[in-house]
Order: sequence, then C-alpha cells, then structure tokens
Amino acid sequence: MAIVGAAIAFAANAVSPRGLVLTRNYFPKAVTVAGPAPAALPAELGPAGTNAVAVAPPQPVVASLDAESLQRADIDLAAALFRDPRYQSELVVFIDARDEEQYREGHVPGAYQFDHYRPEKQLATVLHVCQLAEQIVVYCTGGDCEDSEFAALALIGVGIPKERFFVYVGGMSEWAAHGLPFEVGERNSGNIGNGEP
Amino acid sequence: MSAMPLPGRHKGWNLVAVLTRWLLGGLFLQMGLSKALDPVDFLKLVREYDLTQHPLLLNGIAAALPWFEVFCGVLLLAGVAVRGSALMLLAMLAPFTWVVFQRALAIQADLGIPFCAVKFDCGCGAGEVYICRKLVENGLLILFSAWLLMGWGRGLCARYALMKPRAEN
Repeated sequence: MAIVGAAIAFAANAVSPRGLVLTRNYFPKAVTVAGPAPAALPAELGPAGTNAVAVAPPQPVVASLDAESLQRADIDLAAALFRDPRYQSELVVFIDARDEEQYREGHVPGAYQFDHYRPEKQLATVLHVCQLAEQIVVYCTGGDCEDSEFAALALIGVGIPKERFFVYVGGMSEWAAHGLPFEVGERNSGNIGNGEP
Repeated sequence: MSAMPLPGRHKGWNLVAVLTRWLLGGLFLQMGLSKALDPVDFLKLVREYDLTQHPLLLNGIAAALPWFEVFCGVLLLAGVAVRGSALMLLAMLAPFTWVVFQRALAIQADLGIPFCAVKFDCGCGAGEVYICRKLVENGLLILFSAWLLMGWGRGLCARYALMKPRAEN
C-alpha cells in the first residue's frame, strides 16, 4: 500500500501544474550557514514581519549573504537607488523575488517579479533586463526571508555578474513601513500607494 | 485487547469509529490538498526542519507527502484499506510529531520563551499554530489512527460494496 501510495503521489506531483521538479536544487547555496532555526516572533510581538522595522536583519541571513560575497543594501541605499535617475532608464533595476500573489499585493514601483521557484514565465524578461542593468536590487519580504538571495544566485548562475547585485535585506515589509511608495497589481499598473500595502 | 470490546458488537462505538474515520480522512484530505496546491511553501517548511540538505530527498518529501496524505484521506473517507491507511497515518504522524517537538524546543531555546508560547508554521497545512495545541492535536490523531488500526471504523466501507466479505464467498 505504501508503494502504491508513493507511486500515485509522485505521479500526481508530475502531472500537477504546480508540481516540484525533483532534480532541481531550489536552494542554490554554495555555503550552509549555521544559525538558529527560522521562527515566528513570540505571540506578544504579533505575526512575523509586522515588526520588521524594529528588528535587525537575522544574523543567519546576513552571514549567508556575506558567505556568498553578495552585497547588502540597507533601506537608505535601496531608497537612493530607487530615486536614482538611472532607475527610469532601467540601468538600475529592482527585482521582487516573492511569488505572484505577494507581488500583486504591493511591490516597489517598476520592480520586475522573479520567483526563482517558478522562473519559467519571467526568466527571459528578467535576464534581458539584468544584462542591460548596471545595478540590480533584489528583495523579498524581509526578516528571515532568503528568496532574494536565492533569486540573485539563480541570476548569477545564468551569467549576470555578481558585482551588479545588491540584496535588500529589509525587504518589502521594511520598505512599506518606511512609507516608501509601492505599486499594486501588475508592473507599471500606475496604482501607487504609500505605507503598508 | 481483551478489555476492548470487539468491533461489531457495539453499534454505538462502531458509529463513533466510522465518524472518526471520516474525520481523519477529511482532515488529511484537506491538509494534504492545501500543501499539494502550494508545494513550494511546503518545500520551504520541510527545509527548515533540517532533515536533509540533499535536493532530491528534500524535493521528494515535499512533492510526495502531500499527495500521499490525500491518498490516505480518500481511502479513509471511502472506507477502502482502512487499517492500511491508518497504519500509514501512524507512520507519518509519529515521526512528524517528534520532529515538530524537537523544532519547538530549538525555537524555545533561541527565543527564550515558555514552551507553549512557541508558535510556528509546522507544515501541517493549517498555518502558524501554538506548539502545545499542535502536540495535543497530533496526540489525538495518533490515538484515532491506532483505534482504526485495531479494526474499528469499518462500517459503511466502500470496500464491502466493491468486494464481498470472505465469509460470504
């Protein structure tokens, strides 16, 4: 029964449009950094992410970026790059490494979505944009989120020079908490807001 | 075993056992589907348990486990291979409960909070839960599965509509 169940389970995964590719490394880290297990904040502090402004980036995330020799961007650098005139001509590019649902809820205006777990739809566009860009800021939710790092590593893996990348560790939660603009819906939808999406 | 009434002799208990079987089946169907429809989220959660770093094993667990739960849930709801399904549930629940407990201990040590204040998404398909509540829930599910494994809950089984019981052959 276990064998039949396992066979059916793997077959279901294979035919599911959301199924995982068994042979793919979804966590392309060269270095594994030891650290405390990622965890939700204590109950009295509310759900993870809501206190992102007050909480420093988790040490494992920072250590992992340092181990991969990836440059980090704080809120000031990320905001400066967003206001950089080169952003309009796409010499500076923002990449949102979260999934489509989160991206649609609110992203940095003009940011491209690149969900490295499901890169098929966006890879060609993002790759083209990154090849032309001078500086690339990659972000995800913030806190202990590692998807920005994985997305950067995936793009480095297909030939984009590492020195162009900045991983914005504070992510979207910090960006919104600082009252910086965000865009709802598709890229360049024009639906711009400020504060928490 | 002798203290336990034999299945079939107490209609009231049999009815409770069938309802338990449906409850377990429905629960695993729902939890399995919620993970199977978003396997990437489940993959990230499985990775946090640090059971293995090997991509093939990690992907295999995250890809197959949700559908396996769906498989067991459907069998329990339909009443086919009830004891086998219950055994599979036990085989999944017991080690899973242990690793959830271990992870909660690690989080408690990191955050320095009371054990029952530990709250995290254990990958059960129900989002973030308090650990004490989760352990009680899993304990009950283990007891229910063990009950079905002992032969209870075989009323209203599709199996008997598909195949005649041996005694009648």
